[in-house]
Amino acid sequence: MVRRQVLLLALLALGVAGSAQAEEKKLKACFIYVGPVGDIGWSFAHDEARKLTMKALPWLETQYVEAVPEGQALPVIDRLVKGGCKVVFTTSFGFMDQTLEAAKKYPDVVFAHTSGFKRAPNMATFMADFYQLYYLNGLMAGALTKTGKVGYVAAFPIPELKRHISAFALGVRAVNPKATVNVKWINAWVSPVKAREAAEALMAEGNDVLAFTEDTATVVQVAGRKKVPGFAHYSPMHRFAPDFVVSGQLVHWEKIYIDFLSKVRDGTYAPGKLKDVDYWWLLRESAVELGGQPGLPINPKYVDALKKAQMTVGGKQVSVYDRVMELLKDMSSPTPTFDPFTGPLQDRNGATRVPAGRVMSPQELNQMQWVAPGVVGPVADEPK
Amino acid sequence: MIRFELDPLPRRRKRVGVYLGVLALAFTLAGALFAAYGVGPLEAYGTLLEGTLGDPQGLAEVLRRTIPLLLIGSGLTLAFRVSFFNIGAEGQLLLGAAAGAAVALFLPASAVSLPLMFLAGAAAGGLWTLPAAWLRARVDVNEILTTLMLNSVAGYLVLYLVSGPWRGEQVQGFTYTDEFPGAARLPLLGDTLVHWPTLVLGVVLAVALQVLLTRTSLGYELRVVGESPRAARYAGMPIPRVVLLTGLLSGGAAGLAGVGEVAGIHYRLLDPSQISLGYGFTAIIVAWLARGHPALVLLTAPLMGLILAGGDLLKISLNMPFRVIDVFSGLMLLCLIAGESLVRYRVRWAR
Amino acid sequence: MMEEFLQALTRALSFGTPLLLASLGALVNERAGVVNLGVEGMMAVGALAAFGVASETEAPGAAVCLAMAVGALAALLHGFVTLTLRANAYVSGLALAMLGLGVAGLLGKRYEGAILFEPAPELPFTVAAGALAVVLWGFLHATRPGLVLRSVGENPAAADVLGVNVMAVRYLAVAFGGALAGLAGAFLSLAYRPAWTDGMTAGLGWIAVALVIFVGWSPLRAVLGAVFFGLLYYLQFRLQDQSQVPTELFAAMPYLLVVVVLALAGLRRTQGSAPAALGRPYHRGER
Repeated sequence: MVRRQVLLLALLALGVAGSAQAEEKKLKACFIYVGPVGDIGWSFAHDEARKLTMKALPWLETQYVEAVPEGQALPVIDRLVKGGCKVVFTTSFGFMDQTLEAAKKYPDVVFAHTSGFKRAPNMATFMADFYQLYYLNGLMAGALTKTGKVGYVAAFPIPELKRHISAFALGVRAVNPKATVNVKWINAWVSPVKAREAAEALMAEGNDVLAFTEDTATVVQVAGRKKVPGFAHYSPMHRFAPDFVVSGQLVHWEKIYIDFLSKVRDGTYAPGKLKDVDYWWLLRESAVELGGQPGLPINPKYVDALKKAQMTVGGKQVSVYDRVMELLKDMSSPTPTFDPFTGPLQDRNGATRVPAGRVMSPQELNQMQWVAPGVVGPVADEPK
Repeated sequence: MIRFELDPLPRRRKRVGVYLGVLALAFTLAGALFAAYGVGPLEAYGTLLEGTLGDPQGLAEVLRRTIPLLLIGSGLTLAFRVSFFNIGAEGQLLLGAAAGAAVALFLPASAVSLPLMFLAGAAAGGLWTLPAAWLRARVDVNEILTTLMLNSVAGYLVLYLVSGPWRGEQVQGFTYTDEFPGAARLPLLGDTLVHWPTLVLGVVLAVALQVLLTRTSLGYELRVVGESPRAARYAGMPIPRVVLLTGLLSGGAAGLAGVGEVAGIHYRLLDPSQISLGYGFTAIIVAWLARGHPALVLLTAPLMGLILAGGDLLKISLNMPFRVIDVFSGLMLLCLIAGESLVRYRVRWAR
Repeated sequence: MMEEFLQALTRALSFGTPLLLASLGALVNERAGVVNLGVEGMMAVGALAAFGVASETEAPGAAVCLAMAVGALAALLHGFVTLTLRANAYVSGLALAMLGLGVAGLLGKRYEGAILFEPAPELPFTVAAGALAVVLWGFLHATRPGLVLRSVGENPAAADVLGVNVMAVRYLAVAFGGALAGLAGAFLSLAYRPAWTDGMTAGLGWIAVALVIFVGWSPLRAVLGAVFFGLLYYLQFRLQDQSQVPTELFAAMPYLLVVVVLALAGLRRTQGSAPAALGRPYHRGER
């Protein structure tokens, strides 16, 4: 008995010494999520990326806190910094002001905030954006709708969603110039009941293809049950309705995390050097992927229909399938030539927003308040 | 068969013993649930205590969570004393927050902004209680149901405000208002998030309500109405008025708490579920524990503040879901009311 | 037009199913004189139990049974505290709501994001709920056990004198209420949105509590009430951008209507249709 205790103590001492040694070299990064990590969606995707980053960077140590209410990030950051976090990722727009405050309070800690636009000497911003994918999804939706009405369940009327809905609508209209994208807002990120009823209302209004921005798989499940094509959002949702998920958007936050943390470690991103660090990573950086599950850009069940569907590009008839694949290849290349937000572009009220020949900058995309023609439904803060 | 007989004069020792016993039971049961979840109860409680009482930052968090509980709890203690079971503090808090926000956003900022916000918040919280209090006082409509229902209505009202007419111009479409001007923000204690003026207000209120209860004629009426409505009626006391007043007071106190949250922490009105984190419900436990003495809230509010802050810690350090707080609250409340019965009755094992 | 009406009715029936199930249960235990505000909590543990069983065994029957058993068990805890210990039933119900949500959120963690290969159909639940309403109506008004149950809720002392075991009847009624709340939860996690999410009951339990008062404790009117509340919820999305009234008002309507109903009953100086001994503990020989 006594001997075992001694042995245990010795082991413990060794363990402590060992971990102390390791700690000297390890960098501790902490992640604050707005939602629960278990459920499919935004926070889930960030946490998957955290795990992949851990695997890729042996010198990294991580901690996460899930379901942090948007008004309560600061006390959590206090705790994490106290616990030795040298890098803090705050992964929701709503954390922006509190992250900025924390950055002032802890000048030696590196902060990185997702999807916002405020930076500081020790606070960077990062985003893996989907607008190119939404455009490609839109092309497919435009080809698949028979009624010319595509339904869209949306969380909040923020620039991110306006950008995605607009890109989607531009895609839909590139194939079917008369089609509409009908939007219902649920004013929540996670609310299966609201998402369900909003999707049902959209179908009652004649929409026969569904897309969405919300953090559960509800809309895909409704599409599966009602046997209409739908598009997945954020996570591998193919499995929730294997016959009805046409495609979707997948994210690889780990691409950003690995790059960012490596640069923090080698001193490139030391506190004080982050004022202008803004990741805006797209298909080119492989930060995002087309599809409802990794490696499956388009559900094989829909390939034939998409090959049959025709659209006009530069005066020539091409199949929608070929167009999607061509653009996907182009935008994934080191030097993309295509961007959905290339002028001339008008908003849905007819005002010119992007003159001919110009492409919208990340900053414009980040603060976009107008929506593209074809979008139907109330849109808050729309410029007149 | 278990049988219960009335125990007309429970001894103090029995009383204290039973309450300690049921609290221990609540913590044991919660520990068992933690074990079922996969976290050792001792580890959980160790983390909880060490991170709250064992360090200054933790103490500050406890204090921050105590502030609204202090305000709401002392008002509810008074209300419970006259058997006005106000379950609607959550909604009254939201209304107070909304009224405070209205002052901050739509009146010119000045030195009197903060006092005005607190006044408006108290008025709004009190008014939101009015239908329930009036219906109870005049025509004996169950106030538990009405206040409970008005909670949800208040939530939707605030949601409407922040997603509609009050949505900020600088919030990029999110559902909250613009930030309050500097004059409408409460000062903080050092680099903590403790908005101390609200804390002072809470302490003052708890003491003031205790004085009101024990040293004034209204307090005397209140005590008689609470202990024996029949006697109060014989004495010709205006029972409806006493109930109505107490109800309004408890709503006003909750309204003050709402102003404290928006002016001390968020600096804006936001989604109802983000403003309060359930303080209105937790305060019911605070008031229940205080047993009719508003000053006792000075002890019971920090106890629940400790549990709320501890729940955050379990989430941060052990990655437990935030629902642990509901587990605690539910178990404590159940055990407390059960304990109250055990005090009142003698248990007999009958054959 | 007809199609639109049918679609709205379908939605109202689907959303109304858990409301009807849970409120029928609450209605029965309230008819026996026991208030239980903990519907939301019992629904949550029921939903989790059902999803847990279904995702691991793919046996929907067993899942539904377990959900009902778990709901009944939670209700019996409430019964013990309020009937045997005679604690305040309203506060106990509130505590049960917190506890149920808490336990489900804690233990349900591992099921978040899990998937059901065979989601249950909604129709059987809806049909069962409607049939149950009719059966309960018949039971309460045309059978002797129904009469006994009502007498326990109206005048327990008189029932006691006639030889009714008031305690036993009330315990049974409470367990029944819990079982139906559990069944409502099973509908949510197996059929309505086949998944487990923390907070997936989304306040339906509170609407069910409101519904019982709104329909004046009548099982048949509960059917209409559930459809009406279901319709209101659906309309807040269907009428988005088409209504002059803010859509939040539709969502808040059930709660507002209950306050109005309670106020009207109070102003008419009646109890409405509430059972006379509702929420009052009964013990022989005590007043």
